[in-house]
Amino acid sequence: MLSAVRLTRRFGDRLAVDAVTFDLGRGEIFALLGPNGAGKTTTLRMLAGLIEPSGGEVHLDQVRIPPARAAQLRARVGFLTEAPGLWDRLTVRENLHTYARLHGLRDPHGAVRQVMDTFRITDRADEPAAVLSKGLKQRVALARTLLHDPDIVLLDEPTSGLDPESARDVRAMILALRDQGRAVLLSTHNLDEVGRVASRVAVLRQRLLAVDTPAALRLKLFGNRVRIGITGHAGEFLPALRAGGHRDVIADDDALSVAITDAGRDVPHVVRVLVESGARIVAVTPEEHSLEDVYLRLVTGEAPS
Amino acid sequence: MNRIAALMEKEFLDLRHHPGVFVPGLLTAAISIVLPFFVAVVIPAWTGERLSDSSDFQLALEMYRSQPISRTMDAEAAVQAWVFQQFLPLLVLAPVAASMSVAAYTVIGEKQARTLEPLLATPITTFELLTAKVLAALIPAVALSLGSFLVYAIGILLFAHTGAVRILLAPQSLAMAFLLGPLAALAALQLAVCVSSRVNDARSAQQIGALIIVPLAALLIGTLTGAIQLTPKLIAVISLILAGINVMLIRIGVSLFERESILTRWK
Repeated sequence: MLSAVRLTRRFGDRLAVDAVTFDLGRGEIFALLGPNGAGKTTTLRMLAGLIEPSGGEVHLDQVRIPPARAAQLRARVGFLTEAPGLWDRLTVRENLHTYARLHGLRDPHGAVRQVMDTFRITDRADEPAAVLSKGLKQRVALARTLLHDPDIVLLDEPTSGLDPESARDVRAMILALRDQGRAVLLSTHNLDEVGRVASRVAVLRQRLLAVDTPAALRLKLFGNRVRIGITGHAGEFLPALRAGGHRDVIADDDALSVAITDAGRDVPHVVRVLVESGARIVAVTPEEHSLEDVYLRLVTGEAPS
Repeated sequence: MNRIAALMEKEFLDLRHHPGVFVPGLLTAAISIVLPFFVAVVIPAWTGERLSDSSDFQLALEMYRSQPISRTMDAEAAVQAWVFQQFLPLLVLAPVAASMSVAAYTVIGEKQARTLEPLLATPITTFELLTAKVLAALIPAVALSLGSFLVYAIGILLFAHTGAVRILLAPQSLAMAFLLGPLAALAALQLAVCVSSRVNDARSAQQIGALIIVPLAALLIGTLTGAIQLTPKLIAVISLILAGINVMLIRIGVSLFERESILTRWK
């Protein structure tokens, strides 16, 4: 639906985004992760037609959109900026109505009523934006983003600075966007949020470090491992396991981490080897790596603690 | 056009919620209206000396008598009419100077409130954005100028000598109020909006925008001292120059408004 093709952006001598390529599909939530200054917002702005790429292309439905036609991109994309950016002295309704008209909607009043209903802000319609809480402002900003019914939605840090309840509301709205068949690109630092909503993840630090589903990234980076809790010193059983053909084994005080390729075949074999060696097994669990582990491994090269 | 109208409506709503910005403009307009009445009506009444008896006004009276519209006035009405006409540029331009703060703040205000990025994410073009911003500052300023002109006319009709009010119907006066004033206002406000899109401080924009007032103030002083006579021909020439400056400022404004720099360099 929306593609970044070797998208590059320089600011003077500084390379902000380097040859980033990915596709955003219908009904998908795609998360863009990266440290501060990694180029996430710049990438979003290029995709929203706000700034021109220094190199590479933006494609919409497989058609290249040159910078001269950026307005066409802006008409198709809904972009939630990092700050809600509401006009404080205007009421919620006036804010939304202005944007409905800027998008050239045929029935601006109807569109405003509809988004206010959807985002449950009708009861605050005639209050100035200045008096709203941060969570409500974000809800109004989301409503503004969807006023022109875009099928592509770019969200820059949508839950940044929100309290847990407001953040949960916003996440529910993001999931609803996906369920409506929209393509959602989410830039965030919140790994927990990504784990909850994103179907695919890209890790960016000027260039793309990885793109895949969270599960596939875990598998690629950490492999498939099983953790076996035992009584006694785990290190004693390392020779037996290695002799049994399990070369990639890590021993903690009272647990062993063993790499496996086929859980149905390897786990019973590991357990049998250990039992035959006299180990008293207390637990066998698949080893889980968080998205944070994946992120830190990619961005800093650090192993998980 | 629809997007220009939408953004202008937003600007007017914003001003409606913040009417305090008009106070300096209203005060300036009020002072500009009252000042010539002090010179032409209050002081002569207070001192008991008619303006037409003062040797200071004889030259002005002679120059003024050459205008067809003042030939039928008595001497005192003619001198009063002369005073009222000389103050007309001040009356027309003063509200513009006051509304400069609105124009100067317009883009910087959006930057500071972080409302510019969502606005630029709509299909609005730079031309549409700047046009809406300039017109939203211009319309109240010109409305205030023309309102002041009307109050001025009523004041002259009520307090000045019979016939003095006819001077406001002279081509120079009408051209000043309805052509030169709006054109100068447009140029000043465009300049302020242009600068507003390039600087980070509303005060800089206001000061640079106010530069347009300098040649017009020189014009005002020139007419008051008799060095310049605002003939219809001179007003037409100045208006043409201002029209040219306005066209040029539209182009300069669009080229100076760098969306990318505004988004990426402003913190």
